[in-house]
Amino acid sequence: MWPSSAVRPHGPTRYLRVRYIAAVDTPLREPTFLILTALAREPLHGYAIIGEVAALSDGRLTLRPGTLYGALDRLTDAGLVAVDREETVDGRLRRYYRLSPTGETTLAAETERLRRNVEAATARLGARSRAVRPTAPRTAGGLA
Amino acid sequence: MSEDRHTGTNDLERRYRRLLRAYPGDYRRERGDEIVGTYLEVAGPDRRRPSPADAADLVRGGLRQRLRAVGAPDLAPGVRLAALLAFLTATPLAAAWMVLEQHTPPAAGPLTAAWLAQGQHTPPAVWNAPYVGPFLSLGVGVWLVWLLAVLPLALGSVRWTRRLTGAAVLATVAVLPLAALTGLPRPPLFVLLPQVALGLVALALPERLPTAARLLPLVAVGAAAVAAPNLLPRAEDFYVSYYGWTASQILPWAAAALLVTVLLIGVGLAVRGDLRAGWAGVVLATPLGLMSLHVFAGAVDGVLHGAPRPGWSALAGTAVAVTVLGPALLPATIALRRRVTARLATPTAGRCPTCGTAR
Repeated sequence: MWPSSAVRPHGPTRYLRVRYIAAVDTPLREPTFLILTALAREPLHGYAIIGEVAALSDGRLTLRPGTLYGALDRLTDAGLVAVDREETVDGRLRRYYRLSPTGETTLAAETERLRRNVEAATARLGARSRAVRPTAPRTAGGLA
Repeated sequence: MSEDRHTGTNDLERRYRRLLRAYPGDYRRERGDEIVGTYLEVAGPDRRRPSPADAADLVRGGLRQRLRAVGAPDLAPGVRLAALLAFLTATPLAAAWMVLEQHTPPAAGPLTAAWLAQGQHTPPAVWNAPYVGPFLSLGVGVWLVWLLAVLPLALGSVRWTRRLTGAAVLATVAVLPLAALTGLPRPPLFVLLPQVALGLVALALPERLPTAARLLPLVAVGAAAVAAPNLLPRAEDFYVSYYGWTASQILPWAAAALLVTVLLIGVGLAVRGDLRAGWAGVVLATPLGLMSLHVFAGAVDGVLHGAPRPGWSALAGTAVAVTVLGPALLPATIALRRRVTARLATPTAGRCPTCGTAR
C-alpha cells in the first residue's frame, strides 16, 4: 500500500523506484505512528521526539537513537517528514524535524482508520456485554 | 564537526563514536554528531560506557543504513522471513533424526520371513554398527537441543528460542570433535552441515511473530515425529548404516519443500509489490544447496564417472562449492540490486538525453 496522499506510480520503472527507494507501508507501525504524532504539534529534535513518544505511549515505548534516526531517514525519504532547522546547543548539533503536508495527510488518514476500528470494537464490545449480562434469577415457588 | 575535533572529549562520547563506525562513512560524517549528541542526552551524567542495548542499537542502525545505501532496504525483512523458514525446516528435521536415532531391533518385513524360513537371515548393518546406549550416535543430544528450541517459541519467547538455536548450532558443530575424542559414532557430515547452515540463518528470527508462526514449528515437529517411524530401517534393509540411505532421501525432499514454500510465499508477496521472499531465497541458498548435496554430487559423479551414487569425494567437493558460492550469492545480489536501483534513480543514464534511446 502507498502513503495515502503519495502519487501512485505509473509504469513498472516508476513503481519500483517509488516502492524500493522511498516508501512507508500503511497501516503504519506503532513507532512510526507515534513519531508522526509527536511531530504533529511542532518541529522537534531527536531527543525531544524520544521523550514525546515515551509520553504518548505512557512510557511503554522508548525509542533508542539508532532506531529513531533510521525511522526518521525512512520517513524523510518517503516525504512524510522534513528537516526544519539546525541549532547548536552546548556544542551539540540539534536537527529539528517537522511533519510535511504529505505526512500530515498520512497521519490524518491513519488516525481516521484507527478511530473507525476503535468505534467498531467499542460497539461490538458494548453489544456483547449487553448480550451476556446476567438476568435476575427466577425464584420458583416464591415466598409470598 | 569532524571526527578529529572530538579526540579530547569524554570517554562515553568516544565510545559512542567508536560504535558509530557501524554506519557508512558518508552518513557518519553527515549525521554522526546528531546521533551521538542524542545518545549523550539520553544517557545522563552517570553513564560511563554504552549499554549493550545501545551498542546493539547502533550496530543494527549502522547495518540498516549500509543496506539503505546500497539500495537494499528490504533485505532485513527478507532475512527475517528466511530465519523463520529455516527454523521451520531445521526443527522437523531434528525430530525426524531423533526418531532415526533409536537403536531398536529392526522390524521384520516380508523378505525376512522368507529368509528366516530358509535359514538365511542376515541382520541389517544398522543393527550391527557401533551405537551409544539405546541410540545410534551422539546425535541424539544434538537433536534434543534443537527440539528444546521449539518450546520457548510456542510460549512466546523469541529471545530464548534464539539462545537455544545458538546452543543447538554449537552442539551440532561440537559433536564432531566429541565423536573424534570418544570414538563414538555421530551423524554423518552431510546431515550436520545443512543443520548448521539452517541454524545460522534461524538466529535472525524476528522479535515479533504472529501466533500462528510461533506455533507452526511445534506442529511441524509433531508431524515429523509421527511420520518418521515409517522411515526406520526394516530387517531386510541390510544396506542401511546410521542415517545413510534414509537421510540422503529425506534432505533433498525437505529442500524441495522449502524451495516450493519460498516460491509460493514469493508469488503471494510479489503481487503486493513485496519482494522480500526473493532475498529470503538468496539467504537460504546455502542451506538449500547443502540439503541437496546428494542431488548435485550425484549429477556430477554420474556425468564424470557414471557412478550410480555420489562418492565421498564428489560429496565433499560439492559441499565445499556450495559453502563458498552460496554465501557469495548475497553480496553479488546486493551489488546487482545497487546497479539496478542506481539506474532506476537516474532513468536517463545510458540513454541519449535528446531522443531517449539507449546508447
